[in-house]
Amino acid sequence: MKATRRDLFKFAAGGATGLLLTPAPWRLVTDAALWSENWPGIPKPVRGELRTRFTHCALCPAGCAVKARCVGDQPISLIGLPGKPLCAFGLMGHQLPYHAGRVRQADADAVRAVIAKRAANETVAVLDLRPGRTASWTYRRAMAALPRGVYLAARSSVPAVNLDAVKIILSLGVPVLDGWGTPSNVQQARSHFRLIQAEPAESRTALLADQWLKIRPGTELELVEALATGRGGAGTGLNEKVIASVANELVQAGALFLAAEESPSVLELNRKLGAVGKTIVAQREAPVPRSWKPAPVTPINSVPERSIGVLLIDESAADSYVPWSKLEGKLAPDALVVTFASSQAGYGRQAKHLLPTAVYPESTGDIPPAIDSPLATFRLTTPLVAPPRGVVNPAQFIGGLAAIDAADALRERAGAIHAAGRGSVCTYADGRSIPVEDIQPDQFWKALNDGACWIDEPGGKLLPPVLRASTPAVVALNWEKRAARGPMPPLVSKLYQESNLRVRI
Amino acid sequence: MSIDIDKCTGCGACMVACAVENNVPPAPEGVNERKGITWIRVFRLDNGAEGVDRKWAFLPMLCQQCGENTPCVSVCPQQAVQLDPATGIVGQMPERCLGCRYCMAACPYHARYFNWWDPSWPAGMEKTLNPAVAPRMRGVVEKCNFCHGRWHAAKARAAAQGRRDLDPADYVPACVEACPTSAIRFGDLNDLENAPERGSFRLLEKLGTGPKIYYQTQRDWVREIAAAPGGTERAHG
Repeated sequence: MKATRRDLFKFAAGGATGLLLTPAPWRLVTDAALWSENWPGIPKPVRGELRTRFTHCALCPAGCAVKARCVGDQPISLIGLPGKPLCAFGLMGHQLPYHAGRVRQADADAVRAVIAKRAANETVAVLDLRPGRTASWTYRRAMAALPRGVYLAARSSVPAVNLDAVKIILSLGVPVLDGWGTPSNVQQARSHFRLIQAEPAESRTALLADQWLKIRPGTELELVEALATGRGGAGTGLNEKVIASVANELVQAGALFLAAEESPSVLELNRKLGAVGKTIVAQREAPVPRSWKPAPVTPINSVPERSIGVLLIDESAADSYVPWSKLEGKLAPDALVVTFASSQAGYGRQAKHLLPTAVYPESTGDIPPAIDSPLATFRLTTPLVAPPRGVVNPAQFIGGLAAIDAADALRERAGAIHAAGRGSVCTYADGRSIPVEDIQPDQFWKALNDGACWIDEPGGKLLPPVLRASTPAVVALNWEKRAARGPMPPLVSKLYQESNLRVRI
Repeated sequence: MSIDIDKCTGCGACMVACAVENNVPPAPEGVNERKGITWIRVFRLDNGAEGVDRKWAFLPMLCQQCGENTPCVSVCPQQAVQLDPATGIVGQMPERCLGCRYCMAACPYHARYFNWWDPSWPAGMEKTLNPAVAPRMRGVVEKCNFCHGRWHAAKARAAAQGRRDLDPADYVPACVEACPTSAIRFGDLNDLENAPERGSFRLLEKLGTGPKIYYQTQRDWVREIAAAPGGTERAHG
């Protein structure tokens, strides 16, 4: 048989038609689609055994309980407990270690040698941006042991707010509904307090407040004066009748009055309204070992000008900031400033050395009681992932300057709490609450490391806090303001960039 | 799903929890709200008044899982969108999608998103991805599927325990789990206890697409915005 050109065309056309009737081309299309989903540019999630672990969120002093879903040892999502939700920032916490702006390496030994040399005859000061932790006690012990050590806390006092007793809150720009207290507590209490927000910006708290006083920027203290004296207030941009009405409301309800800055006039108005001792109370601290001899807390304003030779700033867990302008004048002309932080964004811009630290959820430490917790608490943030090599533990570093071994400080403190024999341990895995006196010290320590929380027993009178009026202005941070100070999880783009839900203020 | 607008505080926890659960990547530089991917997006509404009369509300918007004349299903040339009659969930199959975006044009709720870029995470962050959900490639459309990965996992768990049916607690989407004020609730609409509350309304109900997201509010002006022609455009800002 002789094959012709026509036969060739017929064969090709028949073959092509026949091929369409087989699964081959369709399989090819499907495989190509599947390949394009998995080509090397597309990340492949790691598979493995799913586990649940518990810890506490260390991103702010609320210290919410966290249930982490992990693949092997790697957390893949964080969630709060039933009735105790996490905020949006807390839900992204497990992504913080991977922020591109993170600092990872520094020569800690060289910095230690320089500090040790200068500590012999110069004033060494530690600025603690989250007072009340076990690390804070290590700093105080270290400063007590150094010849000229000074312990500075970002806030002069850490009062607690008894939200149960609050009827009205007049807030001067405090983000009451957006990262100020424990989200679940504020949410529960919200139904029984009236919120008046005085703020120039259209913040989320301002939007959700019962009344928003849109004052002119920088006129907060003028508003306070007007409320206290019943005169003035024209500079705030508010109507006189509005100011009089708010003042009347505050007096009649015995309000809690909050302020973004500690200042004498704000303190005086709180006293006048009867808030101090009633809604603003002293915060109780968990017991500490008796052998710990701490240095006193020195108000920043009382530090002599140009006296600090070495300033060490623990920025690894920051709740509030002291403006650099307030610190600068206290430094000697050739002062050495060392900051412990995970990025250059905060005091790192002014410091000579930046020592990188672990970030949540790599770090180990405890969280002081939240501002809305009049009871003492002790909660550990246990690491969910290992920190990278090269990071420094600020407490161990500063403790080491005074030959204090701070590696076991948390366990020593847990021992002191157990020895005190009061309060109970709440374990989140099984939702139980066990009196401390019913468990052994080792069990207590293990429970804390497994994500349990110690809560002091209620009882006793709530005492008024010791408030000092002569403190510098301190910037309280919610997580939005924190964005300007340090890395934020990359997914925060969903809120700020990919939607118009939140705007930078 | 029912959403109580009066309880929503606009915290954004649902948006973040959704992105974490479904491996939605952070935005590349320069991406704005028009090209971003947020399977659930909370919009800020106001009543248009000035001064002390001005009021705000937050409206979470996600795929409404239309049950009748589903617009995206009917226009898809690839059959990449399918309505599951068993669950009522409108599923999106990215491996079938050719990226024509007809479905995006057809969706009256603007609840579908196109992958303009390959998904990418900062170095090391791929380790935090959810293994139950595959990242989508550039050039395909994606949207809320009520955390279908969780539904599959719940079915597998139930089967392992010898059960055919799911308990309500077995399967909850990530946004519901994360909502701090319990503004978002989820359940089977066929169960009487999950029947829409009296006074609930659905967005653009008159289009006849049978959305399965029910909204509640006591505020008339919010209802007016939701019902008015162009209401969602106003919400989109």
